[in-house]
Amino acid sequence: MKNERKRTFLLITIPILALFICFNTIPLIRGVVYSFTNFKGFGSYDWVGFRNYIDLFSDVRVGKSYLFTFKLAIVTTVVVNVISLMLALALNSKIRAKSFFRGAYFLPNVLGALVVGYIFNYFFTYILPALADMAGINSLSTSILSSQNTAWIGIMVVCAWQAIAMNTIIYISGLQTVPEDVYEAGGLDGATGWKKFRYLTFPLIIPFFSINMVLCVKNFLMVFDQIMALTKGGPAQSTESISYLIYNNGMSGGQFGFQSANAVIFFIVIVVISVAQMKFSSRKEEQL
Amino acid sequence: MMKRKANWPVMAFLILGLTTIAFPLYMTFVIAFKQPTEMTNSISGILSLPKSWSLDNFREAMRVTDFWHSLGNSLIITLVTVALSILIHSLMGYALGRNKARSKFYGFVYLFIVSGMFVPFAILMMPLAKQTAEMGLGNWFGVVLLYVVFYMPMNVLLYSGYLVNIPIALEEASRVDGASTWTTYWKIIFPIMRPMHATVAILTALAVWNDVMTPLIIMAGSNQNTLPLAQLNFQSQFGTNYNLAFASYLLALIPILIFYVVCQKQILNGVVNGAVK
Amino acid sequence: MRRKRIMGIGLTLSCIAAGFSMEGCGGAGDNEKVEIEIVQYKPEASNYFEMVEEEFNESHDKIHLTIHSPNDAMAILRTRFIREDYPDIIGIGGDINYSYFVDAEILADVSDYEGLSEIKQAYRDIDESLELVETEGTFAVPYVANAAGIMYNREMFSEHGWEIPKTWDELLTLCEEIKAEGILPFYFGFKDTWTCLAPWNSMAVDLSPADTAKQVNRGETTFSKEYREVSEKYLKLLDYGPSEPFAYGYNDACTAFARGESAMYPIGSYAAPQILSVNPDLNIDSFVMPASDTEDGNTLNSGIDLQFCVTADCKNKEAAYEVLDFLFADENIQKYVDAQSAIPCKEGDFTLPSILDGMLDYIDAGNMTDYQDHYYPSEMAVDAQIQTFLIQKDVDAFLEKFDTDWTRYNRDIIRLVQEYEEEKANAQKSGGAE
Repeated sequence: MKNERKRTFLLITIPILALFICFNTIPLIRGVVYSFTNFKGFGSYDWVGFRNYIDLFSDVRVGKSYLFTFKLAIVTTVVVNVISLMLALALNSKIRAKSFFRGAYFLPNVLGALVVGYIFNYFFTYILPALADMAGINSLSTSILSSQNTAWIGIMVVCAWQAIAMNTIIYISGLQTVPEDVYEAGGLDGATGWKKFRYLTFPLIIPFFSINMVLCVKNFLMVFDQIMALTKGGPAQSTESISYLIYNNGMSGGQFGFQSANAVIFFIVIVVISVAQMKFSSRKEEQL
Repeated sequence: MMKRKANWPVMAFLILGLTTIAFPLYMTFVIAFKQPTEMTNSISGILSLPKSWSLDNFREAMRVTDFWHSLGNSLIITLVTVALSILIHSLMGYALGRNKARSKFYGFVYLFIVSGMFVPFAILMMPLAKQTAEMGLGNWFGVVLLYVVFYMPMNVLLYSGYLVNIPIALEEASRVDGASTWTTYWKIIFPIMRPMHATVAILTALAVWNDVMTPLIIMAGSNQNTLPLAQLNFQSQFGTNYNLAFASYLLALIPILIFYVVCQKQILNGVVNGAVK
Repeated sequence: MRRKRIMGIGLTLSCIAAGFSMEGCGGAGDNEKVEIEIVQYKPEASNYFEMVEEEFNESHDKIHLTIHSPNDAMAILRTRFIREDYPDIIGIGGDINYSYFVDAEILADVSDYEGLSEIKQAYRDIDESLELVETEGTFAVPYVANAAGIMYNREMFSEHGWEIPKTWDELLTLCEEIKAEGILPFYFGFKDTWTCLAPWNSMAVDLSPADTAKQVNRGETTFSKEYREVSEKYLKLLDYGPSEPFAYGYNDACTAFARGESAMYPIGSYAAPQILSVNPDLNIDSFVMPASDTEDGNTLNSGIDLQFCVTADCKNKEAAYEVLDFLFADENIQKYVDAQSAIPCKEGDFTLPSILDGMLDYIDAGNMTDYQDHYYPSEMAVDAQIQTFLIQKDVDAFLEKFDTDWTRYNRDIIRLVQEYEEEKANAQKSGGAE
């Protein structure tokens, strides 16, 4: 009986694991192998040892792309989480047409990022400056995508516009696990507003907060579609994200070997950050 | 009564927030119907409704993007991926979820697969293009197989998390009746995981439907387009005619919008389910 | 019950979808026909190529031709090369990708193609010099060329009596005059980085040696030396452009110029169809960029815009040549020239588009120089570097970065070139000793 169970589990696991290894692990290993070559993507190539990795750490463009990507990821994560928490609290309070609002606020998440990017591209280039002109706001009367200092804000807005939906839903489901009597008890103690949130609600939804943080940081570090649709890395290479650089120079350009090395490092960075985040938040949960 | 009044500021906040979602969609909708001559830079010109509700832009955009063909490809890829994901990922989630705590091997496999979530697609892109071609999978089925692998980490995580809530006693009862593990799974566990199936189906379907890169890399040159891929082709060729471009954007958004409006409740519940786990 | 119904709908949908995708896979009914596939990289010419495909298939029983004109064809070609799934013929530009493909031995030697003899020598020479190191054989048949300079609004010019400038000083004087009339001299679409290369190229051919990149690769000079004047003069142009040159892309700039918002637009002849699609009645012409201080110092910036290469993997070279014959038929080239405002690479009596009127003298005299950027590796993103430079306006920093980046991105090419030069030198030495 026990053996039958064991055998069944093995029979399930082995083929699926094989599929996973075949289309995930093996290509990953091949990618790592390419990172030690000067492969252009076609033709012959030579082994170059660690040259790509050494170059990587002295390449200004790669360094800039890491800075940009992290700046974008951190700021967007903060913005998204603040707004989605506010929205979640609002959507969870006693309001009319609750399901309508929830449905409407989730809408951006189902739309394709590329098409949304194209639409916002037009919006930033033409509509926003026209609106700003009308309102007499000079700082917005030119496209924010055209300046090195502001282009990342445009990308941030589009990323946030789409990501807020998912985070809000996750917070709402977190808020629903908060039992009513917590509030009632808090109400007796005279806790109101910010204090109530800070000391009663928030500690109870910390697990959801950490899910959101991990998801946000990971997704925004891998930002690609929005860059493709909005700026293509410009102006003045100020919005080249890591993924964009890997795709653009590795696929369209002839730097496949070098960008494979970049991707390997990027993979390690993402794993380290995510693991660290999860460790950190689980420790926090234990404290509470 | 007091409570209701107190919530009006919240309602106002929510309605204000909604405009940021509605406005870009409204613009897309209006521009898609206008003619190039109606495009002006004044506020009233931007916001106004088109003079006539002609479908010409859509007809032309559908012709250029080969709409029905691309839609068909997108549909088949999404449906097959979702079906396979539910079957394969739930099985894997079951096998790993039931054993990962007790066995080192399963614990390792679980971590191994879940860590696949962090592999950037960029590094897999080229090797996969080569590999799928070598295996004769440079077609929609190859794309489906890749999706099944790409979304395995997330879905296995969801399934095995959900499984914690299903008491093992249920299976034991069935086993006492002489059913094999395999039969027990399909008769008892699989139906119980129904809410999670909905979640997986929705999350996978949304991700697959909107994905551009995988079909771009795998199906390049096969003469087959998915809807987002057709969109990508459209963008640069007809960039000046914003009206036509926006009609095509709207065409790309409409199927998923309809799907969302129809299944809104299930989608939201599904996502909530996934989030709680 | 409800769930079942949803499943039912799902099944029906997938059947319909299956039906759709089956259609695409069919078509291989006739086994006798030779299949020839072309992938060409100019999506804007897709209408022309659809017509060629149709007419070819109507008039040929033995060969079935398919032409793809995808967006971002380079990425698609590269993925297909990775998959070793080569089209029979590729239509690409005469740029560094071509150099790479020759070096990677992806292309077949077509020196036995008869039509080659009718191609103008100047363009065949350009292809030769694009090879990273001299390679035996010919690997491409040039189809059409383009030219970059300054496009101008003919009506506006004659209305105000403005003259075509012949030297750099005349150009600046003209710009001042135009500005004084309250008209914008230039429009730029610098949001799309590649447009930054158009004025750059057309000025660089006047001011630096044609083989600058190759000289640098051989270690004979530096970009800091050769490109200083170009960079300094380029900055001057900015004064006569729109106040927000980086807000608008290529399409926007074309639209603006078409609507008469500027008198001139420094861009290549390839922009004409785009401009005319916005305003078909616009009367445009173009002139050679007068970046040099003397009239003799100027040369027309012209390079191969589209050429066809047969891949080494092509199973049936004869059939491929038959397709080439059809493409290179005079009437077809003329159609392409008319549709895309291009310059034919073939000898013969073609009607050139009127937008090239101002450049005819140079074309007839063969006073043409290839684009400098055809030698730049795309991953170095010189276009974006120029954009950065135009924003920051720091000539020294730009040139210094250009030189350091160049050695880094071209390390393997430089090694290849130097090895080749050494070998050549050694061969000469030992040849002399014998």
